[in-house]
Amino acid sequence: MKKAVIRRAAAAVMILALTLALSVAAYASDGEYRTLDEIKDSGVINIGVFSDKSPFGYVDENGDYQGYDVYFANRIGEDLGVEVNFVSTEAASRIEYLQTGKVDIILANFTVTEERAEEVDFALPYMNVSLGVVSPEDAVIESLDDVGEDDQVIVISGTTAETYLTKNEPDIKLQKYDAYAEAKTALENGNGVAWANDNTEVMAFAIENPGFVVGIPTLGSADTIAPAVTKGNDTLLDWLNEEIKSLGEEEFFHADYEATLLDTYGADYEETLVVEGGLVAGAGETADAPVETAKAGG
Amino acid sequence: MDFEAIRSYLPLYWDALGLTVRIGWQGVALALALGVLCAVTLHLRLPVLRRLVAGYIELFRNTPLLVQLFFLYFALPKIGLRMSPAVCGVLGLGLLCGAYMAETIRSGLESIPPIQTESAQSLGMTRMQVFCHVILPQAVSRSVPGLVANVIFLLKETSVFSTVSLMDLMFTAKDLIGMYAKTMECLTLLVVFYLIMLLPVSVLGSLLERRLRHAEFGP
Amino acid sequence: MRSLGLDVLFKGKNFLRLLGGLWVAVRISLISVVISIALGLVMGMLMTGKNRVLKAVFRVYLEIVRIMPQMVLLFVVYFGTTRVFGWDLSPEASAIAVFSFWGTAEMGDLVRGALIGIPRIQYESAEALGMTTAQVYLQVILPQAVRRLIPLSINLITRMIKTTSLVMMIGMVEVLKVAQQIIEANRKASPNAAFGLFAVVLLMYFAICWPISRLASYLEKRWA
Repeated sequence: MKKAVIRRAAAAVMILALTLALSVAAYASDGEYRTLDEIKDSGVINIGVFSDKSPFGYVDENGDYQGYDVYFANRIGEDLGVEVNFVSTEAASRIEYLQTGKVDIILANFTVTEERAEEVDFALPYMNVSLGVVSPEDAVIESLDDVGEDDQVIVISGTTAETYLTKNEPDIKLQKYDAYAEAKTALENGNGVAWANDNTEVMAFAIENPGFVVGIPTLGSADTIAPAVTKGNDTLLDWLNEEIKSLGEEEFFHADYEATLLDTYGADYEETLVVEGGLVAGAGETADAPVETAKAGG
Repeated sequence: MDFEAIRSYLPLYWDALGLTVRIGWQGVALALALGVLCAVTLHLRLPVLRRLVAGYIELFRNTPLLVQLFFLYFALPKIGLRMSPAVCGVLGLGLLCGAYMAETIRSGLESIPPIQTESAQSLGMTRMQVFCHVILPQAVSRSVPGLVANVIFLLKETSVFSTVSLMDLMFTAKDLIGMYAKTMECLTLLVVFYLIMLLPVSVLGSLLERRLRHAEFGP
Repeated sequence: MRSLGLDVLFKGKNFLRLLGGLWVAVRISLISVVISIALGLVMGMLMTGKNRVLKAVFRVYLEIVRIMPQMVLLFVVYFGTTRVFGWDLSPEASAIAVFSFWGTAEMGDLVRGALIGIPRIQYESAEALGMTTAQVYLQVILPQAVRRLIPLSINLITRMIKTTSLVMMIGMVEVLKVAQQIIEANRKASPNAAFGLFAVVLLMYFAICWPISRLASYLEKRWA
């Protein structure tokens, strides 16, 4: 009787020790990465993208990567003169991929936030994100005050909508899902009173699904989306920033939008969404201040 | 290690632990009840029912919980059957693990040599008496390690609950990593809380196993 | 209700991609199960032995496997080994390592249980007949133990196949991930694709796991 308990306790201590040892060791050896020259010499760049977030990063019926992020990734490969190896990532493993150097760049619709900027280095932004809330037309949520005490608002785990509501509206109950398809079906099935997400997404949803309207078209502060590299990988970061600036001269991201996002959002959102040359419209920030952008995103 | 972050995450992990344990145990109860019923039905070779039970076991043992939950939660409302996430969780876990429990108990029942039944009957015991006093006690004691393993398996299966928006331990960890990017802290907390949840089960299981083996083989 | 997504299923290479994803899941599970059975038999025999240190080590190992969530193990093996040792394991190697680590423990415990279930008198009689320890195990004990193990180890194989969906965390694309990709790529054109695709995925899992289960019960009956 006693022996069994002691043995289990010993096992528990071992597991704890193991985990702690691993995390401490991991912290001691942070920041593996390949410099710009090493990437060029190898002839391949590893870029982490989503493979199931249409229209930003997804895989088409022929097994090829497509989308707004992927369009940019392919251009990076072209300009570096290397091949692009796409790595399919999940929201929860994006940072880990960079910190272990298993990918060189993350281009997975990665919103710039203060917390993330402590773990990785963000380059200049290439897209704006703002929030919106969609709800059924017979019970429209036009302000967050309309959300009742027992009502639940649907969000997708790891999105800016979730971070924003958690931080600024701690009283609102969130119903979190892992994937877009699940969140949308849940809204259709009436499991929550509204769905908060990037405003582009909720507007597209309202257009496609009669019976739903966007009661809150913009919410909270504006965020940006930017490429990220391993902390300290300055050669690659500098190159990316230069690249984004020079792509601005040829209006590259407008072309990207027209090639990948036009079908979903129409032409109306082009100016709202696209960030050209790393310059966020109206924010008045210079292209050299990605740190400022990071703070604005928090 | 960022202890400030860990402290601020703790309440979320406690909530998740509460939810996982609550749904987990309701699932276990349902699974055990289903398992015993099914195993006995199979063992006694009840007509018709036996086929139904066999079909249920095959279906649920050979498909993943994730897909089962998806059907319960997202497909059934389309035909007017709407359940809360918690009910789906309990039902999904119970149905899935019930199939495993049934298999474990059944193989325990069948490991008892037929000669015991014959001897007991020749002593004048009825079929019911033989089953309740001779076969079942031994079968249960032989099944215990398997049953305990099933319970732990079931509690760990809660990790797919994100599909139905239940904030179990795994989803909480993934969610926090996605938001705040403290991977190591979140995973360490995840391990600690799994430990808190599963260690008691594990200890209880081995105590039970020992006691029952004692009952079977003597000191 | 519009289309249920079956048209999406046959668009382009979608169906082949699903089958490819299924093969990834099956391949990882089968390799891991073979490794697990081999190592598990050895471990089970060692666990019934007299060496106390060895027994204690195995106990702790078993406990770790029981309690650690597989997602944590995947993170530790895939990312952790790079951080700590600088190894660059492929996702597949990491997945097989994690699944074998898990399978060996379960198998070892099952083997131990099966061996203990065999009455002492059999070991003693076999030794009295002048058999060596190896002979006792190979010719008397294991054949009986294996028979009891069959239903339980099949249980493990099917569970492994179903747990492989976790490998998407380390960038491997298996059947569920492919299904999600297809659903997302066609969300606009065919919003109900999720139902059709999940139904197909369900059937695919069933088509793989069910024959394995049938084989197991056939063997179980035949050897009984």
